[in-house]
Amino acid sequence: MKKLILIAAALGCLISLSACENRKSQITAPDGKLDKCTLRFSWWGGDDRHEATLDAIELWNERHPDITVIPEYGGWDGWTEKITAQLSGGTEPDIIQINYDWLISFSQDGKGFYDLNLLSDRIELDNFDSEILQFGQVEGKLNGIAVSVSGRGLFYNSETYKRVGAEYPTNWTELISLGEKFSSHGLYPLDLDAQSGGTAWYLAVVYVQQKTGKQFISLDGKLGFTEEDIKMALDFYKTLEDNKVIRTVDIRTDEDGTAALYQSPEFIQGRIGGVLEWGSSVGKYEMSLSEGVLEAGALLSDENGNNGGWMVKPSLLYTISANTDYPDEAAEFLNFILNDGEAAKVLGTTRGIPASHTAEKSLEESGLLTGLAEENDRLLDELDTVTISPYMELAQMKSFYNSAIEQISFNAVSTEEAAREMYFSINDYLERIKK
Amino acid sequence: MKKKYRNPIGVKSYTGLLLILPFIAGFILFTAYPFISSFLLGLTDYNGIRSPEFIGGENYSRMLTDKGFINATAVTLKYTAILVPLKLIFSLFAAIVLNMQIKGMGVYRTIFYIPSILGSNLAVVIMWQFLFTADGLANQLLEAVGLSPIGWYGNSAAAMGIIILLRLWEFGSTMVIFLNALRDIPKEYYEAARVDGCGRIRGFFAITLPLLKNVFFLNLILQIIAAMQEFNAPYMITGGGPLKSTYTLGMLVYDEMFSYHNMGYANAISWVMFVIIALIVGIMTAVTKRGRAEI
Repeated sequence: MKKLILIAAALGCLISLSACENRKSQITAPDGKLDKCTLRFSWWGGDDRHEATLDAIELWNERHPDITVIPEYGGWDGWTEKITAQLSGGTEPDIIQINYDWLISFSQDGKGFYDLNLLSDRIELDNFDSEILQFGQVEGKLNGIAVSVSGRGLFYNSETYKRVGAEYPTNWTELISLGEKFSSHGLYPLDLDAQSGGTAWYLAVVYVQQKTGKQFISLDGKLGFTEEDIKMALDFYKTLEDNKVIRTVDIRTDEDGTAALYQSPEFIQGRIGGVLEWGSSVGKYEMSLSEGVLEAGALLSDENGNNGGWMVKPSLLYTISANTDYPDEAAEFLNFILNDGEAAKVLGTTRGIPASHTAEKSLEESGLLTGLAEENDRLLDELDTVTISPYMELAQMKSFYNSAIEQISFNAVSTEEAAREMYFSINDYLERIKK
Repeated sequence: MKKKYRNPIGVKSYTGLLLILPFIAGFILFTAYPFISSFLLGLTDYNGIRSPEFIGGENYSRMLTDKGFINATAVTLKYTAILVPLKLIFSLFAAIVLNMQIKGMGVYRTIFYIPSILGSNLAVVIMWQFLFTADGLANQLLEAVGLSPIGWYGNSAAAMGIIILLRLWEFGSTMVIFLNALRDIPKEYYEAARVDGCGRIRGFFAITLPLLKNVFFLNLILQIIAAMQEFNAPYMITGGGPLKSTYTLGMLVYDEMFSYHNMGYANAISWVMFVIIALIVGIMTAVTKRGRAEI
């Protein structure tokens, strides 16, 4: 009997342990003081962003010897998984760079991250337009602050285009006609990826949005495309492959394995003439080539000059962990990297053109508001853009797009079948996560 | 008078327990607790952030219609069915060769074991990935002998082949177990057989193989367990492609857990994986029981 009771008690302990959460039941409230402490700050990005952010942290550590900031950084691939594990275990850093869709994944009720409104004494929120702050609002709580607003644009390798003697395309027809021209030189005018970046589906969505005036997924997570619209997008992608505008998935994986496009030898050696990338992240492509080689091109329109359908979103947001023990100190640091003029100069445009007015002004005054991110922003400003739904960026959604693209690329299914499958999967998933 | 043993710790009846306490504590904390927790979480809808919500067997019934799960299970079983026999045959062959009495055999054995020490760490996996790209070493070798290059990553069979080759290359530990068993077989058996006119090949089938039955079984089970849990190699080398033809159950668990935040579902899949492995091992044990008992 004694043994039985012991076993039952042990099992009971295990069950209660497994059900317990690793997160704090109550957040640490700000106390208005800056104490000596160590903070962790995490971000993803390319080398350009890493170098600039490390310099900014050094500047902070010089100014605040009592509040040491420890950096945690890496490339995008696998980063969401790492943060997911940290958030689940309650071991995430104090200040976190987050992606737009993470607000849905990790903070549907607004309690997943710190409510930054509580720290408005330290973070100069009036430096941001209200539409910008709106991006980080969840259930009345300010869960994040957008660092910049950015969209994907087209960037070309000027040397590759010179070699072929081609001009950058301005509309879809011109782009498609470039395939043959480049192909005779063994080159491609553009390339897209069907991996974590998912630019293949992104460009196809822009094309259909421009043609139909519909939004692929609404901001509140409803599928705006019909099955026919999805088929149109997949047909467009297939046209790009068939006309040798981009590499097929088969050729791409054969040449690059699972490496990201900016690390691909084909891109670095100039065989790929163009890429589709966020203005805020194009630096990593720029760094792979000689200086000044990569140039921003026009955002494509149809033959009638209709150039709608291109998309923008908060390129990334900063947030503070709901588990932090040092909200005042974390807020002070957050304000520094968002709004401090000196920090802005160090960070440059490695996260796009800053949404913070003081940071933008500082860059402008010091002549640093130049480069591809700025050019891309200017091009997007001239268009009637669509704000991307955070639901579009969820990892599971990307797996639907990439799976369809891969299947039609390998001719495993028709675009019609792939469209039906994708339409069903997306609707089913969106319904499930909004339950 | 018999001298009475004095326990230096002083708690005579609990000394044994005290000595194994570090192991028991480790076992409870790092094996039993996660094991039971994962079963409980498999019965919930849990995204890692919100509190888990009990949903009974819904995660398990979802698997029955989940094409991703069915595909990953088929891929994992196919991978295991191809890799394990190949690896056992290859390791046994290498062990027999390395069991020969040749000068400097110790050096050869070390060389053959090196791939296993390297394991499938990141550097090796990345090296492997580059060996099989379009203009990688594998295709250069094919072209050098007049064969046409293969699109390794774009072809389902070839992509699976790359991963199987990596694991075959790491045959060292299986080989060492065979080698050890081979060295335990008394030479007199072979000498006596030779006197009776038994050749080398017959000797292998009549003496070596029967005496290796138990070790063969051990290696078989260890390799099945490892293959069914495969994750690193396909994740790093092929990313599960093309068309999910190398997408194993291990990768599915990882994606569901960390990419799609379906932690309840991921834990349920882990348990199904566990049951499949236990079933295979159970069947293997039952089928080979008689043969092994004869020794």
